Amino acid sequence: MFRPQRWAVLVAALSAGWNGRGAAQTGSGPGRDDGQWTMPAKDFASTRYSALAQLTTGNAQRLRPVWSFSTGVLGGHEGQPLVVNHTMYVVTPYPNVVYAFDLTKEGYPLKWKYRPNVNSAAIGIACCDVVNRGAFYADGRIYYNLLDGHTVALDAASGREIWKTKVADLNIGETTPMAPLVVKDRVIVGNSGGEFGVRGWVKGLDAETGKIIWTGYNVGPDADLLVKPGSFRSFRASGTQLSLNSWPKEAWKLGGAPVWGWLSYDPKLDLVYYGTGNPAPYNAEQRPGDNRWATSVMARDPDDGSLRWAYQFTPADNWDYDATQEMILTDLPVKGKVRQTLVHFDKNGFVYTFDRGTGELLAADAYVPVNWARGVDLRTGRPEVDSTKLTGVSRGTVKDICPTLEGGKNQQPAAFSPVTRLFYVPTNNMCMDYTTANVSYIAGTPYIGAAIPYKPGAGGHLGAFIAFDVTKGKKIWEVKEPYPVWSGALATRGGLAFYGTLDGWFKAVDGRTGAVLYKFKVGSGVVGNPISFLGPDGKQYVAVYAGIGGDWLLLSGDVRSDDPTDVRPPASFMPDIARHTSQGGIVWIFGL
Amino acid sequence: MDLWPVTIMRRTALLISCLVIHLGASDAAQAQRSAPPPVRSDQHVEAGGQPPPAGTLRNPFQGDQQAAEDGGKLFSAFNCDGCHAGGAAGAVGPSLADGRWRYGGTDGEIYHSIFYGRPRGMPAWGGTLPPEAIWRLVSYLKSIEPAKDTSATVTW
Ligand code: HEC
Repeated sequence: MFRPQRWAVLVAALSAGWNGRGAAQTGSGPGRDDGQWTMPAKDFASTRYSALAQLTTGNAQRLRPVWSFSTGVLGGHEGQPLVVNHTMYVVTPYPNVVYAFDLTKEGYPLKWKYRPNVNSAAIGIACCDVVNRGAFYADGRIYYNLLDGHTVALDAASGREIWKTKVADLNIGETTPMAPLVVKDRVIVGNSGGEFGVRGWVKGLDAETGKIIWTGYNVGPDADLLVKPGSFRSFRASGTQLSLNSWPKEAWKLGGAPVWGWLSYDPKLDLVYYGTGNPAPYNAEQRPGDNRWATSVMARDPDDGSLRWAYQFTPADNWDYDATQEMILTDLPVKGKVRQTLVHFDKNGFVYTFDRGTGELLAADAYVPVNWARGVDLRTGRPEVDSTKLTGVSRGTVKDICPTLEGGKNQQPAAFSPVTRLFYVPTNNMCMDYTTANVSYIAGTPYIGAAIPYKPGAGGHLGAFIAFDVTKGKKIWEVKEPYPVWSGALATRGGLAFYGTLDGWFKAVDGRTGAVLYKFKVGSGVVGNPISFLGPDGKQYVAVYAGIGGDWLLLSGDVRSDDPTDVRPPASFMPDIARHTSQGGIVWIFGL
Repeated sequence: MDLWPVTIMRRTALLISCLVIHLGASDAAQAQRSAPPPVRSDQHVEAGGQPPPAGTLRNPFQGDQQAAEDGGKLFSAFNCDGCHAGGAAGAVGPSLADGRWRYGGTDGEIYHSIFYGRPRGMPAWGGTLPPEAIWRLVSYLKSIEPAKDTSATVTW
């Protein structure tokens, strides 16, 4: 998830599927919504769909901001607030302050504030700004990660710390910006550090005590991956040691495959799904082989972590195409038959549909312009790679690869509406030149070996908010944006989709046509994800963070004004973003 | 996880020994005297102390163009560019090419930044790099420092 600059190195509840079947647990099927937002993606299925319908295409023009709050923190405000029991919970980027606002009182005063003591060394170890992707509410507790490798449980009513567990090690380049997933009595977390040669894992903690119950690595020997005899299948590859045998000797120990994105859960199948990041280092010639299971989707049993199935999107990744983007669980018709599907919009530019029970790949189509591969062969499950786009030291500078390592999309999560049956996807439109170098591993420093300047993709706009019909493999409409769309999407039953832009607009669009119905300038670029909830007054609201950052802290040039000693030249592909925004975290609430 | 640190240390050691061979012996001895004792950034910071006065340290390569060029190579060989970007333009770590310094811009102060590390994410290199390598890095950073500029940072 790194971005380099100029010549720089560097840098479920199941949604009740469209057929109206089966909403379970924290229900979000059409017509059923408790008005809360208790987990990052609204439901275990990661739909980011709110079944509230007071806000409609008819009245969205009358939206207005009703409340705002400065978090006092400047880092990129990725992630989203939670709303539970008429309390809004906000987690800031480093230093990872938690605010709890009382929505029942005028002005939404604070109930409590929690300020952890986070090791500032993490600032240098986090690859791409000091973001945090949010908290998870379960059973009266708020669970979230500190950037410096700790998972914390707080009492949701009082803010009292219940436990704090060290899960990751800064000294070897691990940080923890991702949002945990809480399933039954497990808190599941993963590490970041694909740019530092970490070895990716997920851990299952006991929700009650914070004790680490299991650790499942993404690369290495079967035993470390928690591949148990008879319980694992890869839909196509067979045999044992599928990961170990796909790396040169020992290289998997520094092999990357971190977990910095979103996790999903299917309660019926009792499987947790997540994607893994890039293999390390970027220079693929230092790690010949497929590098399983980097850039893959993994399905695990939450109780003991055992790996049930896995699929690799970009074997032998040559382009930093992490696969950590969300796995959206919904039931879609494939060739005339409704399947229990998992849909994933990958950084590599393709959207994949699987049978989420078996891991069978059912469809794969480009959702943005792609030229590193001609398509995905559904028979073999492998991409049809254009060999002229392969990278590596021996290949010198490889020009015009689309999409960039920022991906067709990146961390910014898509939403799915069971009403329109469309996916709403925030996308990037950029291409890159890729030059690799041999790199030595030094613990706690970047293990990358690449210089990768970007350029605008076809059309010149750097991003678009699109509606995509996965069953047809077709884009239905798009709103072109001058800058990459780095905020997540929200879909609502009232027929609306919401997102924010890097130049600081928050927008509501008609979910069927993409017509912009409302927009408001929120004070800083939006890289967070909108949510919707019912206030104590019974009215529907939408909330979102403003606060540019994430990869864009590194790429936007002169957007940081808090530090008189750090003045940066603008990026060549995006010379003017600092004209429209500066850093600064603000929580916004909109209503009628 | 036991094997790789060994290979790594070996690789780093190799790189460093190449460098040391490159130096004249008396050169190295002098550089040694101009170095404070190694302390890790976190120890140093949590001890609550201010860094020892840096002004007394003398850069043995002052004005040496070759040393600055070597320092530029070290800047990528030791992955400084991974955090500060190529040309030290700024990425996760701040720009070191804008003529502005959080912790001071004299040769001695920059030496301290690299040797001890700094609390907001700068690793301490005192245990990894020999003083002469750090001085070469300092020389490189000083060589790319721009002339003082008081114009607006951006205009449209
Ligand atoms: C892991 C990322 C990382 C690596 C690797 C790294 N730095 Fe830094 N560096 C930082 C950060 C972050 C800061 C800011 C620290 C602070 O403000 O406390 C910094 C600060 C500095 C400073 C002080 C800047 C000032 O304004 O006073 C210097 C000098 C420096 N680094 C040089 C280097 C050199 C030379 C190397 C390679 C030997 C290097 N850095 C490697 C992250 C890194």
